[in-house]
Amino acid sequence: MQNLYKPDLMEVIGVRQHTSDVKSISLRFQDPERARQFTFVVGQFGIFSAFGAGESTFNICSSSNWRDHIEFCFRKVGRVTEALWQVEEGDTVGFRGAYGRGYPVEEWRGKDLIFLGGGIAMPPIRCAIWYALENREDYGKITVVYGARTVGDLVFVDELAQWAQHPRVQVIQCVDPGGQTPDWSGEIGFVPTVFERAQVPAGGAVSLVIGPPIMIKNTIPVLERMGARMSDVYTSLENRMKCGVGKCGRCNAGPVYVCKEGPVFTFQELQAMPLDY
Amino acid sequence: MTALTHDALRKLVGEWMAAGKICVGPVEVKPGVVLFQRLASPQDLLLDGWVRPANSIKELLLPRHEVLYGYRVEKNRIELVDQPETVPEQIAICAHPCDAAALPILDKVFNWDFRDEAYNARRQATTVITLGCTRHDDECFCTSVGLGPLAERGSDAMLFDYGDGSFAVSSLTEKGRALLGEAQAAGGHTDAPPVRFDPKEAARFAVDHFADPFWQQHALACVGCGACAYTCPVCHCFDIVDEGNGRHGVRARNWDACQFPLFTLHASGHNPRHGQGDRQRQRIYHKFYVYPEKFGETLCTGCGNCARNCPVGLGVLPLVTEIPHAEPVQA
Repeated sequence: MQNLYKPDLMEVIGVRQHTSDVKSISLRFQDPERARQFTFVVGQFGIFSAFGAGESTFNICSSSNWRDHIEFCFRKVGRVTEALWQVEEGDTVGFRGAYGRGYPVEEWRGKDLIFLGGGIAMPPIRCAIWYALENREDYGKITVVYGARTVGDLVFVDELAQWAQHPRVQVIQCVDPGGQTPDWSGEIGFVPTVFERAQVPAGGAVSLVIGPPIMIKNTIPVLERMGARMSDVYTSLENRMKCGVGKCGRCNAGPVYVCKEGPVFTFQELQAMPLDY
Repeated sequence: MTALTHDALRKLVGEWMAAGKICVGPVEVKPGVVLFQRLASPQDLLLDGWVRPANSIKELLLPRHEVLYGYRVEKNRIELVDQPETVPEQIAICAHPCDAAALPILDKVFNWDFRDEAYNARRQATTVITLGCTRHDDECFCTSVGLGPLAERGSDAMLFDYGDGSFAVSSLTEKGRALLGEAQAAGGHTDAPPVRFDPKEAARFAVDHFADPFWQQHALACVGCGACAYTCPVCHCFDIVDEGNGRHGVRARNWDACQFPLFTLHASGHNPRHGQGDRQRQRIYHKFYVYPEKFGETLCTGCGNCARNCPVGLGVLPLVTEIPHAEPVQA
C-alpha cells in the first residue's frame, strides 16, 4: 500500500552555515532509482524531517538542473529546525515532495528577470537565479537586489559574487541603515529604496519578490511605478503546512490551497485572494 | 429480510462480532452521554428512540491518532517501519444520515490528486447501516444542506424505526446486502427539521465580509477548545507529529482544528488567522465556500454536533443564523 506520508530517506552530503542561525543542507536520495527519476521545478517545496523531532516545510533551494542532489535552507527557530541544526554529513533526514506549483520558468523565457529578496527569503530566489544562469541564453538581463538587516544576516553571500561574474547580471546587496560593517561595500538602505534607485526597467520584465511582509508591501508600489504588470510579479507564500498534499486543511489562503495551487503566485492572483496569508 | 426486531438485530450484530468484524454503534458510556463506540456486546447498542451521539463515525476512517509509520535510528542510518496493511472490517450501526453522508464528502478531499490509501483501505472495509431519524432537536439542520432524516447518501443499508420494537430494512449497496440480504423497505415515520438557513447566503457573507468585525464579535465567547471540529462528521484537519525520541518512535497523524491558535502560526511568529474571529470565520468559510468551490458541495451535513457540544453556545447554526441579510459592503 502506497503511503503518501512516508518520506524518502536522504543522505546528508553537505552542511553550510550561513549566519548565526541559518544553515543549508545538501541531500542525496539513498535509493539510486528514486534519485534517477526525481525531478522538480524550481519554486516547488519539500517536507523535510528530522526523525524524533518532526517535519517542516522548506523550498528546495537548489537548481532543478542539479541532478545529483537537492538543497534546502532553514533558520533555527523551533523544534524541527533545532534538530536539523544538529545534522552532520552522513546523517539521514526525511524528504517528501516535490510539492506545489513552481515558477513558470518556461513562460519567463525571453524576458528580463528581476529578483528582489530580503533576509531568509534568498533560498527560494536562489534556485531560480541558478536555473536562469544555467539557461542563460533563454533569459534577458538579470537584476538581483538582496538585502538583510545586517551584513551578518545575508545568506549565500559567496554565490552573490559568483552570479555577478555572469554576463548581463547586476547584483546589488544592501543592508538596513545601521546594519553595515566598516568594510561593507554594498548599499545601505531598504530593498525597495535601493531597487528604485537602481532604476531597472521593469516594464516587460518578470519580477520575483520574496521577503518579509513589510518589504513586499513597500516593493510592490515601486515595481508599479517602474512599469511592472502585476501578472508578471511573482512571490512565494509560506503558509503553515503539515501534509503538503491538500488534506490537512491549514494552508488555504481564501479558497486557494497554498500547498497545491501555490506556493508561487502572481500579485494579480494574490489581489483576488483574501488576506489569509 | 425486510423487517428486523431489535432482538434479531442484536443477534445479527453478535454474529458479525463473532466473525471478527468491528461493530460500532451508539452506546451510553455514562448517564446522559452517548457516543459512537466499539461495541463490547450487542446489548450495548442503544436502540430505543432517537439519540444523537456526541461524536461522529468519521473516527472509523480518520482515527483521532494514527501511526503513519515507525522509525528506528541506528547510528546515522534510519529504518522506516510500515504499519500492518490489513484493515479489519468495521460496521457502523445506527449511524444517522448526517453521519453516513460525511463519508462520500471526505472521500473527495482524501483523493484529490494524491490518494490517501490508508484512508481508502478503511473506507473500503467500512459498512454503514444507517437509522433513519424519527425526530430532530433544535440543533439539527440537515434539510438546510440538502440532506434529510431519511437521506440515503453514504449508507450501505437503511433501517427505519416503526416504533414497535422492529425496523424495516432497505439494503442499498453490495456491502449492505452482504450483511442484511436483499431488502427493499420504504421509509417509516419521520420528522424533518425545518430549513433553517441558506448555505449560499452564509458563503456569500463569509466571502464579502471576510474581515468584518462580525466574526470577532461573535467569536468573543469562543474558548478555542476545538470540540466543534472534533465532533463534526466532516472536519478532517490533522497534524503530523513525531512521537518518540532520537532512537525510535512513530510519525503519527492526530486530529487538529482550525480553532486552535497554533494551527496556522508561522515560524516567524506571523499568524494569518491571528484572532479567534478569524478562526471562526475560517470554519464557516471553509465549509460553505472553500469546499463547495473545490468539490461542488458543502462541508457540512447539518448534524448540529458543533452546537450541541460547544461549551459556549457557538457552532455552525448559532453563527450562520446571526448572519445579517444585508447588502455586502467591502471589507
